[in-house]
Amino acid sequence: MKRTLLITALILLLSAGAMRAQTVNDGLTMPAKTFCTGFMFQHDQWKNYWEGTLKRDNQNIGTLTTQSLMYYGVYGISKKLNVMATVPYVWTKASMGTLRPMEGVQDLTLAAKYRLLEVPAGPGKFATFVAGAFSTPLTDYTPDFLPLSIGLASTTLSGRFTTNYQMNNGLYINASAAYTNRFNVKLDRPAYYTDDKYYSTNEVWMPNVFDFIVDVGYHKGPLQTEVFYTQMNTLGGGDIRRQDMPFVSNKMNASRVGALVMYYLPFPKNMAVRLSGNYTVAGRNVGQTTSLLGGLLYTFYFTKNKD
Amino acid sequence: MKKIYTLTIILALFVVMSCDKDVQSVQELKTLTPADTDANAGTWKPVLLTSNSQIIVPAPIAISSQAYQDDLQKIRDIQGSLTKAQRNAIEYWSAGGILRWNEILRGLVAKFNLPPAPNNLGAYPAPDAENPFGDPNFPFANPPYASRAYSYITAAQYDALKAAWYWKYQHNRQAPYDIDPSTIQALVPKSTLPSYPSEDAVMSAVSAEVLKLLFPAAVEEITLKAAEQRNAALWSGKASSNDISAGLTLGKAVATLFTDRAKTDGMSTAIGTPAQWKLLSENAIARGEIPWVSLETPPRPPMLPFFGLRSIGAATVGVKTWNVEYGTKIAAERPAEPPKTASSEMADEVAEVRYYSENVTRERLAIVHKWADGAGTYTPPGHWNEIASHYIEASNFSEVRAARAFALLNMAVHDAAVGCWETKYYYFNPRPCQMDAKIKTATGVPNFPAYTSGHSTFSGSAATVLSYLFPADAQYFNEQANEASLSRMYGGIHYRSDCQMGLDHGKRIANYTVNFAKADGSN
Repeated sequence: MKRTLLITALILLLSAGAMRAQTVNDGLTMPAKTFCTGFMFQHDQWKNYWEGTLKRDNQNIGTLTTQSLMYYGVYGISKKLNVMATVPYVWTKASMGTLRPMEGVQDLTLAAKYRLLEVPAGPGKFATFVAGAFSTPLTDYTPDFLPLSIGLASTTLSGRFTTNYQMNNGLYINASAAYTNRFNVKLDRPAYYTDDKYYSTNEVWMPNVFDFIVDVGYHKGPLQTEVFYTQMNTLGGGDIRRQDMPFVSNKMNASRVGALVMYYLPFPKNMAVRLSGNYTVAGRNVGQTTSLLGGLLYTFYFTKNKD
Repeated sequence: MKKIYTLTIILALFVVMSCDKDVQSVQELKTLTPADTDANAGTWKPVLLTSNSQIIVPAPIAISSQAYQDDLQKIRDIQGSLTKAQRNAIEYWSAGGILRWNEILRGLVAKFNLPPAPNNLGAYPAPDAENPFGDPNFPFANPPYASRAYSYITAAQYDALKAAWYWKYQHNRQAPYDIDPSTIQALVPKSTLPSYPSEDAVMSAVSAEVLKLLFPAAVEEITLKAAEQRNAALWSGKASSNDISAGLTLGKAVATLFTDRAKTDGMSTAIGTPAQWKLLSENAIARGEIPWVSLETPPRPPMLPFFGLRSIGAATVGVKTWNVEYGTKIAAERPAEPPKTASSEMADEVAEVRYYSENVTRERLAIVHKWADGAGTYTPPGHWNEIASHYIEASNFSEVRAARAFALLNMAVHDAAVGCWETKYYYFNPRPCQMDAKIKTATGVPNFPAYTSGHSTFSGSAATVLSYLFPADAQYFNEQANEASLSRMYGGIHYRSDCQMGLDHGKRIANYTVNFAKADGSN
């Protein structure tokens, strides 16, 4: 129902140009031979969800809470090329009903981002990036216990394109879009029904996902702050039927708005805090999630030149 | 360097966009080439018909007649211009009509196995057969409803095919591809089975007519599938229009006998009334027991209390059985009383469920989910049909013998459902989560009393019938039944005694059907 964590992780990683979580100065990528690492804690919850297009609550779920503690690391191979990795540990629970909570290590995501172009333009500079990401489950968790499954258990490959305009006064605008190919998943059961069809197999076709993010912000000195809008569309898949349980290949769409603040602390040096939140304003086969995230990141410099 | 990066990125994007990962919704089945035509199936014992010749199939039109010659010309014309879609239909049905209808039936059960949603007053509107497209749809194809549906369809198919076999060997007419092999192709493997009346038309008619009663909101897909099966028989050179129209008439006539039975078999009153539900609870309290309560919010009425239980207050209901005589045997086979809710034995049982609830391993979770078969699925009876389909396919059974296998399986499972539901509402025992709210479950808690486990009863009966039909694999079927049974305890929704007693009960009930099978003349 709300397996947004993976997507959130992807957006975090791949829209680095947008959020610049890993940047330590004016650049849009990490400088060469620097390593930014830390943990982020995310708390998501929803009470209402969309059963297909019908918004409803469910008193046998109550409020569904998903929490995750995510390890995060990004390394600057060069000023133009960064590589990143995340691994979350996820907990889910429902406040009502009898369904048991679930927890476990979810998916490893590895990504590389490359700055294609950076040119001066007017009172600032214009840059474009491409990124590729790979994610895969690190444990054999089940995707067949939604909304309490910790993830969708699909291996994914994703490509992203980002454009960014940064003004000299600190204001910026950014837009990024990605296409994610999701590999099929296997269930513990030999048959299932979805999207008006009965399947006599344990293999589930996973529709691909398109997402984009637009954000406007300010970034100067130790402070970065922005507001953003994201849209995730699943390119196929069935709706949750009336009073049915959600299914791994459902057409999960979500429109979210949010805000972010990141600040490099004066002490300890090279330590940054990151806070962000978002709210699902519209969706299909997902929960109406309120999501809060807090992170603590530390940057190591393996070179004397700190630019 | 930059070029290499760009190329790599373009290549990666190409890979990302072009992955082929298609999953077929149609069950992969091999083309049916029966090991034996079962020419004597017209003498096998009927289930509901008084005899296999009860419905008269008049003699076919003469091969020399202009009407029959026109029939043959029609086949030649169509075969000369077959489209891809028509060839696909022939291939689809060449796996065997019985296997295909079973697959369609499992899909219909999964489609309609959705409980009503609560309305804004916190009430659950009951599915209405007079308004099947409403919210909720009719039916709610829950496990008892499904077990009954599987049994009606497969028993009706079985009786219809025995009648067809009887008349086929009375009239002994060859298939069009044998009458004129020089101009009419056999687009399916040739068979020596006489073609009048067409067995495909019989199956299409009997299946469609019974399905339309049980799943009225699926009328369009049912009708299209039935027509496609008849067309495939014609296009493949297997049956003439005359063969098909005779089969259609016979199939419909047999269907009427089954639908007449279904309309008055007690199903329509199986839900009961709020006053009757209250009485069930009061009876349990009067015995000094904690009565079952719904664990859903808002509380949901119990699932089909009078599917099995026959008398409560002044009412006498209960759904008809196939091979276990209700009046004398259902109560006699009822499992012994469960541990008293206040007993230390019960406390031990609750503690054991709590242990499994708190110690879920990945292996046990896989077992729970393999057998969950809950809302939105084909139910446990459907799961056993799915298992049976692989053995039936591998055995190269004729259509009539395949129909027998499914009919025996589903009559036994239906009788087991009636017996189990009688037991559940007779004792009205609470679920583990009701006894201990700390017990969390790895699958949904079914909305009916615990004792005994429906999964265990269905599985015990199914494994017994399949072991009779495929004795070489008896051990496998029993292992699967044990696993299905224990899955309910691992999932935190049943006590061990529910599982064990249910499994044994299902086996005992299935023996009545096995005894019917042993004396049916097919061996």
